[in-house]
Amino acid sequence: MDDLKYFEILNLNNRLKQSISKDQYNISVLSNITVNQFKEILELPLRLEEINAVVQIGDYDNIVQDSIKYGNSNVIIIFWEACNLLDGLHFKIHAFNDDEFNQLYERIKCEIDLVLKNLQNAQLILFNKFTPLCFSSYDLVENKLDILTSKLNLYLKEKIFSNLKIIDVEKTLFNVGIENSFDFRNYYSSKALYTINFYRKYTYSILPFIRSANGKSKKILIFDCDNTLWKGILGEDGFENIQMSSKTKAGQIFNEIQNIALELNKKGILLGICSKNNLDDVQKVIDSHPDMILKDENFTIKKVNWIDKATNIKEIASELNIGIDSVVFVDDSSFEINLIKETLPEVNVIQVPEKIFEYPNVLRSKLGLFYSLSQTIEDINKVNIYKEQIERNNFEKGFNTIEDFLTSLELNVTVQKNNSRIISRISQLSQKTNQFNLTTKRYTESDIEAFLNLKDNLIFTFSVSDKFGDNGIVGLCIVILDFVSCSGYIDTFLMSCRVIGRNIEFKFMDFLIEDLKSNNINKLYSTYVRTLKNNQVEKFYDRLGFSELDSEENKISYCLDLNEFQPSKINYINIDYDRC
Amino acid sequence: MIDVKLKNIMSAVFEVSVDKINDESSPDSIENWDSLNLMNLVVSIEEEFNIQFDDDEIADMLNFKLIKEIVSLKIK
Repeated sequence: MDDLKYFEILNLNNRLKQSISKDQYNISVLSNITVNQFKEILELPLRLEEINAVVQIGDYDNIVQDSIKYGNSNVIIIFWEACNLLDGLHFKIHAFNDDEFNQLYERIKCEIDLVLKNLQNAQLILFNKFTPLCFSSYDLVENKLDILTSKLNLYLKEKIFSNLKIIDVEKTLFNVGIENSFDFRNYYSSKALYTINFYRKYTYSILPFIRSANGKSKKILIFDCDNTLWKGILGEDGFENIQMSSKTKAGQIFNEIQNIALELNKKGILLGICSKNNLDDVQKVIDSHPDMILKDENFTIKKVNWIDKATNIKEIASELNIGIDSVVFVDDSSFEINLIKETLPEVNVIQVPEKIFEYPNVLRSKLGLFYSLSQTIEDINKVNIYKEQIERNNFEKGFNTIEDFLTSLELNVTVQKNNSRIISRISQLSQKTNQFNLTTKRYTESDIEAFLNLKDNLIFTFSVSDKFGDNGIVGLCIVILDFVSCSGYIDTFLMSCRVIGRNIEFKFMDFLIEDLKSNNINKLYSTYVRTLKNNQVEKFYDRLGFSELDSEENKISYCLDLNEFQPSKINYINIDYDRC
Repeated sequence: MIDVKLKNIMSAVFEVSVDKINDESSPDSIENWDSLNLMNLVVSIEEEFNIQFDDDEIADMLNFKLIKEIVSLKIK
């Protein structure tokens, strides 16, 4: 809504008003100034969240009378401006003597009493703190207007009851800026004090209350792991090198993130993990990494596997029996964020910002999504109840939507053969890649150089780009040819975890086999060597149609007749040789 | 161009369809054209064109034709 102009808000709100079929949710705004522009700005985001909010603006300066009239609205919002308690009070007050000041103070206290008495059975009252800021922001020493508002606020605090929330409107004023919040032209012509920009931010600040009153506060915060809960990629950097310690510059950010999540969990908000990693690796970090703040008991559910995250998140919602619209998901990857945005639009997504120092602030700014009006003991124990109740349900995989999504990415794979200028990168890939790696052979730069010098060796590398950017060189395939028997052996096939989950490996294999066939090769041999980290590729060659030749304890050998090979039907990935 | 933008804005503020707006459109011919909605119209136009009207200009906004003229002059 921040990017919509005011008239666009009016338009969209008009359209939604016609089409929304839910029961009306009545919000009354009581005020002693003109606040008419607030109506649609508040209605729109609520309607977008499927709450059919209808805002009634009360009569000008009729707060007391309106408190009787609108007492049974669902929500009552009170804009009681100090500057207009009397016409021109904001300048007249400085000439008041003590008697006049006290008289005014007592009068307003009585009016507050009366209003709150009339509203005592209201479902929810949002009462803005009294603020002098519009006319008092240049005085650095307390003046009479400041004193009046302080006293009134203290009095309000004493009268607080459970359905009354005192809204610190000054925090919104700080966020928007004093100069951008007030419209003097409109104030002097029609007592319309606030700007559209103020109402936008103010609306955002009170949404959590209304969301909660409608049972729509979010229930679970699901985190990715790498570069989201800690700095680094566990599968590449290893247990020792990921960082989340408060003592390191990089780690302190993630330490704070985990602490924020821990506090949420203590209030009864569920935490979950959805990560493409080996479960054992992640579990080891949770159980025994010295800097890990969040413990196993804080995570109600973990989906650590190689399935796409949309499926995983749907499963999480289904297993916990909560709506998909009560999920908030945090990830550093644009790919994953966009996947969820497009396939599960009801999920609130938070992308870890590139400027990592902004991450805690971004997370903190979204905590309102979880706000709950009533925080009972049950909420806090609920976390345990959910953990005990997890069962697997059947659900639809929805692959078609994933395919559509992958198509929208405009994936491009560029292949190079025997490129001696990237020996360093080839060696690095072989040393660092652990998970999508069929044989996990580690090669130094001189090993690679030696390979390149033998004409029977083909070293394929490929890079992947999509509409969001270029991932660089992320794949390596070394094939050793035997021209006598017209066969090849796949010595190495690996891919960086950056590009897993997009079926690139299958498209590359189609390409490779085509290429080999055109060079008179008609048989391919390959091996899968099992390690602690690569079980995600255990069935890779089987899926391609290779036949098992032999299997020992940790090693399976395969063979494929290239004339019998069935290429994948993937039409959403472009693949070609580098034309340079 | 200004014509189209202004009609879109008026349509949103007064909840009338764009084709019902012409040069003579005024508080007499458009039901929702009251002082409160006029303020909303002013605020919307100011936001869209990044201008600010003074009270005299607002007082002169008596029909669509006049609004167009005032906005055109202001933009220059």
